[in-house]
Amino acid sequence: MKLILGLVLPLVLAMALTLLVGVQDAGLGNLWNALFVFDPADPAQVVIHSVRLPRLVAGCIAGAGLGMAGTIMQAVTRNPLADPGLLGVNAGAAFAVVVGALLLGSPDNGMIAALTFPGAALASVAVFLLGGARTGAAGPVRLTLAGVALNALLLSLISAVILARSEVLEVFRFWVTGSLAQANTRPLLAMTGTLVIGTGLALLAAPRIEALALGSALARGLGTRPARVQLVALAAITLMTGSAVAVAGPIAFLGLIVPPLSRRLSRHHLRREIFVSAVLGATIILLADTVGRLVVAPAEIRVGIMTALIGAPAFILVVRRLKPGALT
Amino acid sequence: MRGRLLLPVMLVTAILLSLMVGQVFVTPADLWTGLWKGTGSGALTLRVLRGPAAFTAAGAGAVLGASGTVFQVLLRNPLAAPDVMGFMSGAGLAVVTAVAFGILLPLPLLAAAGGLLAAVVVALLSFRGAGVQSSLTLILVGIGVGFFAVAASSFLITRMPPQEAADAQRWLSGSLAARSWWHVLQVWGLGSLLFLVLALQVRTMALLELGDELAAGLGARVGRARYGLIGTGVLLAATGVAVAGPIPFVAMMAGPLGMRVAGVTQPGSRLAVAAVTGAIVTILADVVARSVVPGLQLPVGVMTGILGAPYLLWLLMKEAEAGEL
Repeated sequence: MKLILGLVLPLVLAMALTLLVGVQDAGLGNLWNALFVFDPADPAQVVIHSVRLPRLVAGCIAGAGLGMAGTIMQAVTRNPLADPGLLGVNAGAAFAVVVGALLLGSPDNGMIAALTFPGAALASVAVFLLGGARTGAAGPVRLTLAGVALNALLLSLISAVILARSEVLEVFRFWVTGSLAQANTRPLLAMTGTLVIGTGLALLAAPRIEALALGSALARGLGTRPARVQLVALAAITLMTGSAVAVAGPIAFLGLIVPPLSRRLSRHHLRREIFVSAVLGATIILLADTVGRLVVAPAEIRVGIMTALIGAPAFILVVRRLKPGALT
Repeated sequence: MRGRLLLPVMLVTAILLSLMVGQVFVTPADLWTGLWKGTGSGALTLRVLRGPAAFTAAGAGAVLGASGTVFQVLLRNPLAAPDVMGFMSGAGLAVVTAVAFGILLPLPLLAAAGGLLAAVVVALLSFRGAGVQSSLTLILVGIGVGFFAVAASSFLITRMPPQEAADAQRWLSGSLAARSWWHVLQVWGLGSLLFLVLALQVRTMALLELGDELAAGLGARVGRARYGLIGTGVLLAATGVAVAGPIPFVAMMAGPLGMRVAGVTQPGSRLAVAAVTGAIVTILADVVARSVVPGLQLPVGVMTGILGAPYLLWLLMKEAEAGEL
């Protein structure tokens, strides 16, 4: 009970701040009206209803999706440095979108958002194979460096494509660095759906993933088939990351910051951990976005930069905590 | 031996190629006329359009390659390099900070300050209680510091006016666009100076490679030698950053690639080979970046990213097979 209150209250606060704070601060009265008795003639209400509310929804999808994806990745790989952004899964999803827009010759197509899923799937398979999942030796260093390489490759290709066809792809310039701006143009409803499916898969697979953490021999003895569990986990990660990237672009580090916190709060119970990660992820991203909108108003710092500013020190902290023997 | 001849030939070919290829193809004959008579399309290409970029690329590639080898020898790890470990991002951050706040200092000075600061931060954050950490911890902490520097640079760029921001963004990805002979002079001048310093340190570098205890037994002052070499390595990388931005992967790739071609193992020759290979890689990457999309010059860093990432992946596979990582 205490846990629920401790989690939900900050989230509600973050949501309220997202709706209220901005270039034009909206009063609580406006907020109430915009949500429940919307008047399209009042500009203050319009800002809340059609700019900040989509932003809120996009933030929740991206935050929850990336937070949960990070938790599952870390549970499956048992690597505290696993994060969909750092391992190149986000970049894979973004690359697929940019290439799709290039081939179709137009960025404004609902189909394009769905390309994040095959992109994320391919990138996660690639990074796990490259990181040595097959040989069973995916140490934190290897996996992280494989992610660094995959990220460098994909992000270089993305900027090459965007620079080469800037007239068509200009709209992706901001999206590729991770931003909640223009959330009202993103397929929010569809991506909520895919995120829910991904969450369902993850919750179903959670006990099996925990069994897998005991070691694959022991897991087999308990009736778990490691390959199948890994495949389901991969599908869940793909759905969550793909949804997040489709609404907010590739945002790194959230999947790194959230899992250690949620692990502590949920006493090593993976299903609970997944829930806690979703709430924490959404809270952190909304707060980061609000701060990013305030510090340089009327301009804004993209939320991907804000999470990186928090996430890089967190990364170093996690590295320092690794036991020397656990590096390889 | 054959390999050692191959590298200079490749360097000359790369420079020639870089002068010939572009929006307009310039024949070697034109270049020859331009060089000696100072007239015609050859002269313009040589003096203004492509000459400065080619020689800046050569200089920047050389200092980056040598810098990478310094760290690879010191940490005995092919993954160690100023680009991977965040020193170059630190140098880039210092330059962006100065531009954002209107501080008018020479870029090499700023880059050097940023690179050294990043190295100190990496070293401090890697210590955990007593004793020196493994090179893997240093590399991972360096990656983290690099992440932070990149994020902070993006943060500062957001606050700049649009045109300035676009320029800064381009520079940060590593770019040789609009180079002048002043850049050539900077990178070759400072580079030569640092290579002289490095030449004085080569003997202790060879000793350090044997292991700290053995080196101390043979009369090296291990601590001082190590700090000196780190300093030179960071300054070399910062010089490259100052003239061409933080071009990724050249520092990491050049040494091992050159060793493979030339078949050398001594630190002194490794440094020389890495410098030449770095120059070749940078020039060729720039040629490809300029000509792969007609009518558009991609930043050279985009191309070294596309070429360098597969190398890093290959390295990881190979090290895993050898059971070293």
